[in-house]
Amino acid sequence: MVTEFQLPTERELETIDINVNVGPQHPATHGVFRMVLTVDGEQVVDCDPVIGYLHRGAEKLSENCDYRQAIGFQDRTEYLAQFNVELGYVLAVEKLAGIQVPERAEYIRIILTELNRIASHLMFMGAYSADLGLYGTLYMYAFREREVMQDFFEEITGERMMYSYFRPGGVAWEVPENFRQRCRQVLDSLKRGIEDTDGLMTENEVVMVRCRGLSPVTPEDAINWGLTGPMLRATGLKHDLRRAEPYAIYDRFDFDIPTGSQGDVYDRYLVRLEEMRQSVRIIDQALTQMPKGPIMAGGMKRILRVPPGEIYMRTEAPRGEYGIYLISKGGEKPYRLKIRSGAFSNLSALRNMVVGNYVADAVIILGSIDIVLSEVDR
Amino acid sequence: MAHERAQEVALPEPPPGSIADTFRQVLPNVEFQASQTAIDVALTVRREDLRQVMQTAKEHERLAFDFLRCLSGVDHMDGLEVVYHLYSYRLGHSVAIKVRFPYEDPHVPTVSHLWQTANWHERECHEMFGIVFDGHPDLRPLLTEEGLGYYVLRKSHPLAEVEEWQESYLVAAEQAAVQAADAAGEAAPVDERAAKIALAQKKAAITKQVREDAKAKGLSPEEERKAVAEALKALAEEGKGE
Amino acid sequence: MVEQKFSEVHEVRDDPQLAISDAIPEELRHDIKRLSPAQAYPTQGKSLYRQLLPGILQVPADWLIGWGRKSSLWPLTFGLACCAIEMISTAMSRHDLDRFGVLFFAASPRQADVMIVSGTVTKKMAPAVKLLYDQMPRPKWVISMGACANNGGPYTRYDRVLQGVDKIIPVDVYVPGCPPRPEALMDAFLALQKKVMEERGKIGS
Repeated sequence: MVTEFQLPTERELETIDINVNVGPQHPATHGVFRMVLTVDGEQVVDCDPVIGYLHRGAEKLSENCDYRQAIGFQDRTEYLAQFNVELGYVLAVEKLAGIQVPERAEYIRIILTELNRIASHLMFMGAYSADLGLYGTLYMYAFREREVMQDFFEEITGERMMYSYFRPGGVAWEVPENFRQRCRQVLDSLKRGIEDTDGLMTENEVVMVRCRGLSPVTPEDAINWGLTGPMLRATGLKHDLRRAEPYAIYDRFDFDIPTGSQGDVYDRYLVRLEEMRQSVRIIDQALTQMPKGPIMAGGMKRILRVPPGEIYMRTEAPRGEYGIYLISKGGEKPYRLKIRSGAFSNLSALRNMVVGNYVADAVIILGSIDIVLSEVDR
Repeated sequence: MAHERAQEVALPEPPPGSIADTFRQVLPNVEFQASQTAIDVALTVRREDLRQVMQTAKEHERLAFDFLRCLSGVDHMDGLEVVYHLYSYRLGHSVAIKVRFPYEDPHVPTVSHLWQTANWHERECHEMFGIVFDGHPDLRPLLTEEGLGYYVLRKSHPLAEVEEWQESYLVAAEQAAVQAADAAGEAAPVDERAAKIALAQKKAAITKQVREDAKAKGLSPEEERKAVAEALKALAEEGKGE
Repeated sequence: MVEQKFSEVHEVRDDPQLAISDAIPEELRHDIKRLSPAQAYPTQGKSLYRQLLPGILQVPADWLIGWGRKSSLWPLTFGLACCAIEMISTAMSRHDLDRFGVLFFAASPRQADVMIVSGTVTKKMAPAVKLLYDQMPRPKWVISMGACANNGGPYTRYDRVLQGVDKIIPVDVYVPGCPPRPEALMDAFLALQKKVMEERGKIGS
């Protein structure tokens, strides 16, 4: 009598779920982040993110610095898009103190902020391609463009990173005389970099096979989980803080808001790529419109005292909504400075997005959230 | 500390037709104290009403707050406070809801069943301030290790001092030099630099003491400066006399 | 009502003392800031090549081994914070670290020679740093990059921050800056190479 042959899938195998620790030191975790994945074979059953390995206390230390010293802490909180967070903080202080910023300073700020947004997205492209397995090429291209931009910023502010250039009331000092030519040179170089990125990644078979359809998110889920920024726009919701609650002088510029359709990993990449192009548009318009004039508000005292009050100033940073909740009780130091960072809220939804996918996909999903650990941990 | 001299200022009322009026119409039994901050309207509610207010804010069609932007804890020196910033994508309005409670009873109902993003915000608030959110599924510390024992962002917790690791090494070296000098029968070497540092420290201590006394007595800045100069002169004469 | 200090009311538990490795002898423990790993973890006896070769051949052999070590220092990818971005910049095409032999940022500590601690070390992260350092096989060197790794940097007054990575591991080269320029990191590698050559044949393997 021949026993019937059973396919392996029909036999009942006893398996255990093991915990895989994607530890704090890992080439693919963009910094010191740890997630404990419970895997069944190759599928992720549960994910427990552990953060706090870079908790440096910018909030508590800012309470003991005056308003100008705290700008340095903001720089180091988001070390890839420094001008964006400086802008958010400085706008919060100005709105609370009722300081009117001159026109030229506003334009300079917007130009530098948008350039920094492009730099941050380029870094995302580089690191993300490294996660996908296309290590090296795009990283090199991205850093080539970032070096061009960092040179430009060094000519203006004197620093490669951590600029501390925006001050309450304007900017710290006047830009050099060849600002417009240099800016146009930088923009030309950046356009070339964006085209390189597009050519390498958008139609790439590896990228499309790996990323299309991976962890789609609906807009209602995204709002419930607190996703903001490119992750929210990739789900299809056309919401950008620069349009919905305009701050600085963004209402004078004409730019589109790119959106995706499904909210999957590929859409997030496309949204960021298109955002870089829209930033180039904004900078073009700003360069033509920029007037001459003073760069710091008149009547600023040496020690800035802000009248009592509170403000929640929200800006659109490359990673999402960057909010500064500032309470002042009338002194020269902030009473409470709470930083609401986009990466923190985006990362809290990691578990929902990763469960059910494979381990290799968990790494890509984490990469597509585009976290900056010092913003998550503050 | 700079914050002990905080001024109590009456906050301005929000303009008519703002979100505060909508809240009052939708929830007539609940008592709101409305004020206008630089951008949003801030509503202070009592802790007992918080659950009802949050539920209504999310579900009522005139409010429809589907997005919890930010959940912060604040340590006012006479109590704790939690501030919720809400935003509505459908209707495009925003509000800040605040609730205050004393140090002895830091319990607040959770909102993580309404907005899932509150999960991590409340964990962080708990470990920084010690505010307990009743009903939260998993209130472990998020940013620090477990079992820390203190709440970092409270005003009563001080900043860390800069640890001097060199101290024990230098002290050991000095003692060794003194012992060697004793063994050889010579006078101990006088360290000029250490003497200068000690003098500077003494001056700083006396200056601080005099300043505090002057503040307690309520003198004006010129009188304060005169008192400090007199104290330093007295110290110099003392040193010369020795 | 102003709250009393937490420590006056409750018993505050101190952080557990981060233990210095037992391999460092007792009389050298306070001096850990000044030791390099080679000095801090001395081996017993001489290595095999020094025992076998006659004296006159030891000198070129030492030189050869020292040259080999300094010309291919493979770092461990240990970017913690903002300094990691400058470290990556230094490794990229503009300021190239590849020309100094510093290729292959090894992801596993078992295959790395140099540990570049770039960024703030918090007390939560410190046990992981110590574990990684212990997992590196000898010979190993440590570069402390940036103000935060040197002595806590701008975040030194916060009590969850370790004031300098040299409190837990011995450091060879300190690079100041916040963040240090890529040229400064290259200078640090050149200084480390000089140090590696000077240490050749002197201490253990």
